Amino acid sequence: MAEQKLGNPAVVGLAGFGLTTLILQFHNVGWMPSIGPVVWLGLIFGGTAQLIAGLQEMKTGNNFGYCAFTSYGAFWIALALMLLGNKYDLFKAGTEDVGLFLVAWTLFTVILWIGSLRIHGAMAFTFTTLLIGFILLDLAHFGYPGLTVVAGYELMVCALAAWYMMARVILNEIYGREILPAGKPWVS
Amino acid sequence: MRKTTLGFASLALVLGAAPAWVGAADPNAATPDEVVTKVHEAVQYLNDKGLAGFSDFNNNKDARWVWKDSYVFVYSCRDNVMIAHPLRPDMVGKPILQMKDDKDHLLFQDMCKAGANKDGGWVEYWWPKPGEAKASRKISYVHSAEVSFKPDIQVGAGIYDDKLSVEELNKLATQAKQPKKDAP
Repeated sequence: MAEQKLGNPAVVGLAGFGLTTLILQFHNVGWMPSIGPVVWLGLIFGGTAQLIAGLQEMKTGNNFGYCAFTSYGAFWIALALMLLGNKYDLFKAGTEDVGLFLVAWTLFTVILWIGSLRIHGAMAFTFTTLLIGFILLDLAHFGYPGLTVVAGYELMVCALAAWYMMARVILNEIYGREILPAGKPWVS
Repeated sequence: MRKTTLGFASLALVLGAAPAWVGAADPNAATPDEVVTKVHEAVQYLNDKGLAGFSDFNNNKDARWVWKDSYVFVYSCRDNVMIAHPLRPDMVGKPILQMKDDKDHLLFQDMCKAGANKDGGWVEYWWPKPGEAKASRKISYVHSAEVSFKPDIQVGAGIYDDKLSVEELNKLATQAKQPKKDAP
């Protein structure tokens, strides 16, 4: 019996991560006044879908993807619930509280960023932009609110870089050749 | 007898030296102190509650942000939009920067500039009192608010007054921001 071909859970993880990150930045730069799409996509696509993709990474033996997708999936669910909680006066989180939440995620991201440098160029680029974006959002919550907009444009680049990696896996498979290269790791 | 005269004289002096708005206080008119306190309270409220707090300013029922002849409004200069206005729901969601008052003045351009100062600032323009059609001289105190994922939010509230100058009021707003020190 032929071995069954398995899908790569990363395509869903990257799709949810990229799209939800992008939607939040549409809000941050002021194109989309409502936070609504961020809350709902954060719960469903960036949250639930990415979290499930992350859990499926376990079976592929990829600890980096397992940790990253599961954690960032949980990040989106937590962020969306935090915004909902504020709306209904449930464990309200003020600007500084959200800021510290983001600082913790920044520290967590540093660890994965170090790992990403050794994976390939596209991964290193995505995590570098993600880390810079988190740092800008941290500063935006502690005295430099204007940086939210800078972080917005910067994280759009990060979201598109994540989609590039998704496109790589899907398109290279369908076209049967390396249309989109991954790039050399930044650290060997 | 002479003592009494002196007493009256000094009383008159004290009353005369007191700021105009203390002397001629209309019980139904909001005072500059109230406006500054309310705006700072609103800034803190938005800081605590985040984006979810905006709609609370449009809800006129609990009247927390509406008192006497004044009210708190919320807007974004960068997004060019009125976010909350308890008495004018028709203005909510509408652009503000090209809006002119009765003297053809672009009032929100001034407010955006004043609100960008660290301690906020007062802006003079013409706006009708609640329930009136004719515009009166209004001076509003505006201040920026830090809100997660929403830079450039400003909060304002004003008084209707014919005499007070923006300079006098700016001094008051700066004092209100100073930490209250105990006597040494």
